[in-house]
Amino acid sequence: MLVLIALSILHIAAIILLLVATIDNAWWVSPTMSTDVWGRWVLTNNKWNLTDLPSNYETDYLQAVQATSVLACIFSIIALFVFIAELFTLPKGRRFTISGVFQVLACLFIMIAASIYTDRFHVNEKSLGNYGHSFILAWIAFGLTFISSIVYFVLRKK
Amino acid sequence: MLRVLALASVVLLGIAPQASQAITVYTSWERHALVGSDIRLSCSFFSWRFVSEDVSFTWRYRPDGSRDSISIAHYAGGEAYTDNKGAFKDRVEFVGNPKRRDGSILIKNLDFSDNGTFTCDAKNPPDIVGRPSSVRLLVFETLPIQAGVITGAIIGVVLGLLVLIVVIYYLMRFLVARRVFSLNVSRNVEGPQLSILP
Repeated sequence: MLVLIALSILHIAAIILLLVATIDNAWWVSPTMSTDVWGRWVLTNNKWNLTDLPSNYETDYLQAVQATSVLACIFSIIALFVFIAELFTLPKGRRFTISGVFQVLACLFIMIAASIYTDRFHVNEKSLGNYGHSFILAWIAFGLTFISSIVYFVLRKK
Repeated sequence: MLRVLALASVVLLGIAPQASQAITVYTSWERHALVGSDIRLSCSFFSWRFVSEDVSFTWRYRPDGSRDSISIAHYAGGEAYTDNKGAFKDRVEFVGNPKRRDGSILIKNLDFSDNGTFTCDAKNPPDIVGRPSSVRLLVFETLPIQAGVITGAIIGVVLGLLVLIVVIYYLMRFLVARRVFSLNVSRNVEGPQLSILP
């Protein structure tokens, strides 16, 4: 029972982190600017304005990061519903393989998104800003989804 | 008194819509084209009246960064007139069907200097009150991938594969179960309860 609650909390925490990482605008921040894969907020004259991302971003990589981070959220949410379904329908002694598969796919996608972003963006801008909380949460979500998918593959239904 | 009021309101209702009806002109918002290609700019209108004999279409062109516009095509009185002096000489052709409210033009052999705004003004006498509609033309050397196409493609393909795998899985299970069921029946054995394992 305790394991069940802990697992659910872990999974839900991973979903929340994934959603915050995808939606909140803080992958790369500086005192006057905050950006993520969707848009950029710039502070001018004490007002924050939403602007487009700079055109020197490589669109292929940017759209790959967008797509994979959205897919990671979708797969993790599907994994939660599949886990709840498997709780009630799995016979005794079987493993939660399908939930594990969805969760490991979510882990894979967020790993792809965060890796591409780390490798391809802001490589020459080290002095102009630093990574924001959404970026860090994306990597933490990678860790959480990885751990929870391992648990799903190992755990047996009592 | 009441009867006078009723009569007046009916008469006003009869006249007012006709006075406030206007012609609405429709064109695309923005068009992209490759240099050297041809493009058909469509223009259509909506009017409460039938298409009259004096229907007219006028196309104007305003280059990017300029404030003046020049006429490049005009259709009136059943005749089409196109640019025979300016930058669009021999390049623009009226290909619409005015009887079907279509006033499209065809511009051939596009060049980078054709970037700009094309405005279509349609009039269907006596319905002449209306705002012209503009379409922006962008000429590229190579057509760029529009924003979000790759994102949407990746998401769509992955989700589609997911749905496909689920469908195939359940189809295989259904077919295998049916085959096992028919084998059991043909062997006349009291088959076990068919429990579909999740």
